[in-house]
Amino acid sequence: MRRERHSGCRSRLRSRSAVTVSKGRDDAARADAQATGGKPDEEAVVIESFLAELAAFRDAASGVLGGVAEGSGLEQARIEFLGARSGRLKAIQKLLSGLAAGDRPAGGRHFNEAKAAVTALFAAAQERLAAGGATGVDGAADVIDVTLPGEPVRLGHVHPITQTIRRVQEIMARLGFESVDGPEVEDQWHNFEALAIPAEHPARDPLDNFYLAVARGADPLLLRSQTSTVQIRVMENRRPPLRIVSLGRVYRPDTADATHYPMFHQVEGLLIEPGTTMAHLKSVLRQLASSFLGGDVHVRFRPSFFPFTEPSVEFDMEWGGRWIEMGGAGMVDPAVLAAVGYDPDEVSGFAFGLGVERIAARRYGVADIRDFYRNDVRFLRQF
Amino acid sequence: MIISTNWLSDYVSLSASTEALVERLLLSGLNHESTWKVGADTAIEIEVTSNRPDCLGHIGVAREAAVLFERPLHIPDPRPQEAAAPAAADIAVEILEPELCPFYSARVIKGVRVGPSPQWLVDRLATVGVTSVNNVVDVTNYVMLECGQPLHAFDRAKIRGGRITVRRAFPGESFTAINHKTYTLTDVMGVIADAEGPVALAGVMGDAGTEIGADTTDILLESAQFAPLAVRAAARGLVLASGSSYRFERVPDPAAVDWASRRAAAMIVEIAGGQVSRGVVEAGQLKASPATIQLRHGRVAEVLGIEIPAARQQAILLGLGFAAETADGAGSRWRAPTWRRDCWREIDLVEEIARIEGYDRVPENEPIAARPVAESARERTVRRTADVLVAAGFCEAMTRSVVGERLEVTASPWGDTPPLVCAPPLVRGADRLRRTLLPSLLEARGANMAVGGQRPDLFETARGYLARSADAGGQASGNRPTAASPVEEPLLVSFVMGGGFAVGKGMAEAVLERLGIATHAAHGLRVVFQPVVLDLFAAGRAAEIVLERPGQPAERVGVIGEVAVAALAAAGLKNPVVAAELRLDRLEFAVDMEPSRCRPSDFPSIERDVNLIVDQKVPWGNIVTAIHEGAGVLLEECRLVQVWTDAERLGAGKKSFVVSLRLRSHSGTLSGEEAKRTVEAVVAACGRQCGAVLRA
Repeated sequence: MRRERHSGCRSRLRSRSAVTVSKGRDDAARADAQATGGKPDEEAVVIESFLAELAAFRDAASGVLGGVAEGSGLEQARIEFLGARSGRLKAIQKLLSGLAAGDRPAGGRHFNEAKAAVTALFAAAQERLAAGGATGVDGAADVIDVTLPGEPVRLGHVHPITQTIRRVQEIMARLGFESVDGPEVEDQWHNFEALAIPAEHPARDPLDNFYLAVARGADPLLLRSQTSTVQIRVMENRRPPLRIVSLGRVYRPDTADATHYPMFHQVEGLLIEPGTTMAHLKSVLRQLASSFLGGDVHVRFRPSFFPFTEPSVEFDMEWGGRWIEMGGAGMVDPAVLAAVGYDPDEVSGFAFGLGVERIAARRYGVADIRDFYRNDVRFLRQF
Repeated sequence: MIISTNWLSDYVSLSASTEALVERLLLSGLNHESTWKVGADTAIEIEVTSNRPDCLGHIGVAREAAVLFERPLHIPDPRPQEAAAPAAADIAVEILEPELCPFYSARVIKGVRVGPSPQWLVDRLATVGVTSVNNVVDVTNYVMLECGQPLHAFDRAKIRGGRITVRRAFPGESFTAINHKTYTLTDVMGVIADAEGPVALAGVMGDAGTEIGADTTDILLESAQFAPLAVRAAARGLVLASGSSYRFERVPDPAAVDWASRRAAAMIVEIAGGQVSRGVVEAGQLKASPATIQLRHGRVAEVLGIEIPAARQQAILLGLGFAAETADGAGSRWRAPTWRRDCWREIDLVEEIARIEGYDRVPENEPIAARPVAESARERTVRRTADVLVAAGFCEAMTRSVVGERLEVTASPWGDTPPLVCAPPLVRGADRLRRTLLPSLLEARGANMAVGGQRPDLFETARGYLARSADAGGQASGNRPTAASPVEEPLLVSFVMGGGFAVGKGMAEAVLERLGIATHAAHGLRVVFQPVVLDLFAAGRAAEIVLERPGQPAERVGVIGEVAVAALAAAGLKNPVVAAELRLDRLEFAVDMEPSRCRPSDFPSIERDVNLIVDQKVPWGNIVTAIHEGAGVLLEECRLVQVWTDAERLGAGKKSFVVSLRLRSHSGTLSGEEAKRTVEAVVAACGRQCGAVLRA
């Protein structure tokens, strides 16, 4: 087995300087070389590794020389770093010749820079000790300007709509509600009929829905107009007790303006358990409101009308001394329970829904919900 | 619906302030929009849900107020004086389409003097935002706003042939409404026709030819029932909504058909003079079927969680117009009022009792039992994916699920079937359900670049929509649509970033690793990158990501590539972009796999570098496979250090892979001899499988 000469050198050096040269650093430098898009077959990794050695050498020397407190320590440091026979600088110098011919000029330049820098550090340390200076910040030559900017780490951002959904999900999970999702392309049964919306109901008007050109048999499909469809699907497949939160994109042909968008997100909760009352609904919503908004928040019900709940209410939360509309809720209509094969005299339950864009807009002070869909990173990076 | 408080006081005498009234109405189901003064009167605008057409008239709102404030309600019972001459002598009515119009009634009033309305009538209409026309038209509007039943008055002299026919419009039939605009009708709409053509669009608007004018003396007063769907089709189809169509779409009180006719006839005679002919000319069958409902009084507490005494329950229902048929201690039997078509079950009565009693009585501190719940595999998959990308500096985007032709691709990474199309378009020009997110993200990146956005590296997690080809059966994964659904919805995560293939591949690999799918994971999972051709990607610079799983056919779980110049240009992008898309629905199984890691070895490792020379066309992937095979269990890690070509030193058509091997044993310290043998085995395997030779 024969190893390439410069590879072998690198390995030897690594084993000798194992205390100060971090392998992770070496790997990182290599990864950087690849990640910045450089073509590995043009830009030698060996030079990268050489530079990493130099950087490690500078770091180590700077640490030791900056902290040295007496003459003997200084001499020891000189031998370690700058010693003419077996100092680390000398070892690195030997590597120079192992670089590819094309890399040698650059390698030499970096080497000389490092040598000058460490020599200057040595001189400064000498001066400091001669002036009777002790270890410390005062008077030291290599004091850092701690107000200089740090090396930036670029972090990404989760979309504010996702953040809002996650927050509601987390709160509801603590109340025992499991998150579920389902298809966005739906059939008439799940989007309407099982939700007690009969054929003649205005909600089924072609102008108020995105119907697809394809159908399943005679059943036209459409983009779901509510996530309640998922609740039906879960109820069809499972028996009570049931606590779920369905969430996702829904679609309604609204003209886009500051408060409407034809695609938006809903979070809907459903609880089906024997003995459930509106008091449970109000209490769960109050816990959701208190956790979401912070503090002890009260909830108000106003009667409303939804085909799939009876009684139906809109719920408001008290926020900043005002009642804010949050969403719709109610007790699951017995017709819906019957449609999925439950006995309305045996079990009861409640459901509620929130428009995510609306509460996100309010929470973050976004005046125009279309901003959520412009995908401008100057906007997204604020969240 | 706008309410005049003066008008309301005709039916109920309230001592409460307007604010108190508004608040009680708000908390019992009539949302408050705004309140304003009109002269000495006050207008209150309320929002009426579609199940409450009774509150599209002042009497309905007055009834609510009377129950809420426990005050008596007074409703007039108009009995117009009739002349001896029968109405039937002047008009005949025939319904050809009972589906569009179940019932039609006509009254005749002769000898009226059309002129301005009295000031009180003008004022009341003004408060609710209706402009006075003349004393006859104003009365029909007034009565509609009073009881919710729309009326229409024709000039009898202009009804040609003396006969009203309710029929379907002929396709293409022309109609000039009283707004003097001409509309072309379709056969989903109903019309009131005389001998020569339509004189009214049923339930929506009268025509210009028969409208009441200064020379009108004889009136035909229509009060009818029209089918909500036909009225809506006409109003929406022609963009011709009216107070009448709004109410017919919500089905007014059947009993108000007759009441409104009597009320209007009496008012017209009182205000405009004339005489009401004897009787009403009717056709069809009045559609009314008030329900009889059994109420278990105990049910109220079971639903609401609060006790309301049976006597109070009964008082509320009586006040709302429900008629008690029988009652005992445990329950009672009720006949719903004709104007409450929405009440036909016990639960509907419970809601009535609840909203009048007030939901503020429902407590907000009723605990629910604790129940454990865990995040699903899909949730964890989506979250971990986002975590990796966000940590790497990506911003999450949300783009539209439905796109225009420009954002479509000729071939989706996920299938060749054409995109599904929806109507109407989501936004102008966008009617195709996307099959990949990538073009949308490229567009978003382009938009960011156009405004000088700094490094807009974006990702999105969303569904794609694929029409299943006819022969593809129920092969769905993840959240399974019903077996027969013709649409498959893969859950996709896509990302776009500046740079070349290697950068993007590293990112994709990081995501896969975090999802538990490492290239050589313990569960026998293997991810292979294979060259692929897709129009979105530059030729020769793209790969499909294929997952191999024990016992399963290998399947494509992702694609990645440098974006083709044409696609960059379409998005307004100038610099290189690498883009990838992964199918999370095919990867989510892995987050449920237990990691099975082995204990780190306590023994030191040995590193050896080898420099292998191979033909240019040999991919690194083949070398890796050979190295693993050759090295066996002692190989801890194998890293590519460098790839280089040099025709002089290596020979033409050759390249060199410099590979760093880390060898380690779990059972003891490796000897130099063992390391040597292992490296030799590696070189031999690479030679055998890839034609590699060791560089001297």
